[in-house]
Amino acid sequence: MSSRLSEFTKGLIKDNPTYVQVLGMCPTLATTTSAKNGFGMGIAATAVLVMSNVVISAIRKTVPEKIRIPIFITVIATFVTIVDLLMHAFTYDLWKTLGLFIPLIVVNCIIMGRAEAYASKHGIVDSLLDGLGMGAGFTLSLTVLGSIRELLGNGTIFDISIWGKAFNMFVMILPPGAYLTLGLLAALFAAISIKREEKAKKQASQIQRSGDIK
Amino acid sequence: MKKETLKVSLTLMIYTLIAGIALALVYQFTENRIAEAELENVIKSMEFLLTDEDGNQIIDPKEIKDSVISKRSEMGNELYNDGIGRVISPVYEFNNGGIKYYILTASSVGYGGNVITIAAFKHDSSGIVLHKIKVIEYSQETPGLGAKIAEKNVQERFFPIPETGLKNGLKVDKDAGKQNIDPDTSKKEGVVKVSDVMTGATITPRAVVNSINSMYKYLTEKYLQGGGK
Repeated sequence: MSSRLSEFTKGLIKDNPTYVQVLGMCPTLATTTSAKNGFGMGIAATAVLVMSNVVISAIRKTVPEKIRIPIFITVIATFVTIVDLLMHAFTYDLWKTLGLFIPLIVVNCIIMGRAEAYASKHGIVDSLLDGLGMGAGFTLSLTVLGSIRELLGNGTIFDISIWGKAFNMFVMILPPGAYLTLGLLAALFAAISIKREEKAKKQASQIQRSGDIK
Repeated sequence: MKKETLKVSLTLMIYTLIAGIALALVYQFTENRIAEAELENVIKSMEFLLTDEDGNQIIDPKEIKDSVISKRSEMGNELYNDGIGRVISPVYEFNNGGIKYYILTASSVGYGGNVITIAAFKHDSSGIVLHKIKVIEYSQETPGLGAKIAEKNVQERFFPIPETGLKNGLKVDKDAGKQNIDPDTSKKEGVVKVSDVMTGATITPRAVVNSINSMYKYLTEKYLQGGGK
């Protein structure tokens, strides 16, 4: 059970798709101008990721090695189009806000990356959890990135005013702001993983030393 | 080798066929609903345009709906192009006790793409007044800057504009060089004050005033001259 759970949690920090695997940079940079946009993109991508992971895992044994990429792309593009049509029909306002981002999901490398690296080699349940975890990690990363940019650029988070307009830096909303914030957050994640490794090493050497004494 | 190629192509064909059938089914299922959602959006915008200052409906919603449905087939053609703004069909006409309302749609290039505005012009014995506007397409504008055009308090800066202002040709305050002007008095001169509510973004409001200018020009120079009822 614990290994099942780790299939889900690994996407949050340890293998975070955005800051650790550095996948899906295009939508990350383009759509995180506000917390709401980042969150919406994350949710839409998660929906597609989970569905495509499950289907690809289910058909993995019938797919010839040579043409796996075109087949994966067909599956992914089909789901994206279905999501796009359904959102257009039933959630018109949300569809209007997300607009261009939805077709962009097709070229999101996280989905292709997980299909190739994980779903094509693992069972359906594991692939589902992997999709959920990676999707949650992606959504979280985009929401954090979007919140920081929205706060520094517009003084709000999720359209709720945090402080006055006097601190606004327009550059945070424009593309350079995306690179700056992304770089700093990636550095933070790298620092966390270095700290963790050092800790693990220390513990390991301590155990060894205590073993030597005995 | 040849046999294997054939097998691979057949597999790929089967997969794309299944995907194609799935898409066709979903499309069939959503087609009507999408058309309805688009139509509802147009009707909703027009109901907003045809309210007075107190929020009362000027034209019966049923009449608006019928009018939109009857002109559904002529949507989206270019009626007029002055090089800056494009007026797009259809033109809706409503009558309320001798006062006529014209609803026009126009697009102009903003920061990232087309910005589309629909506007209601009120025509009575004293002349033509810009009654209300709504910016319906701004998805390519920068969020937090140009996309602020979506906010109600920003759009309210664009109306009502009396005929004197429309004749001058609308301008945003920065282009007119009058940034310290009161928003309401500036409307009489045809200056839209936005620099305080949309700091740092001039291109998007400029696209909206350009659209309004094109609509006014088309309405007075073509539509009302050309035997338009």
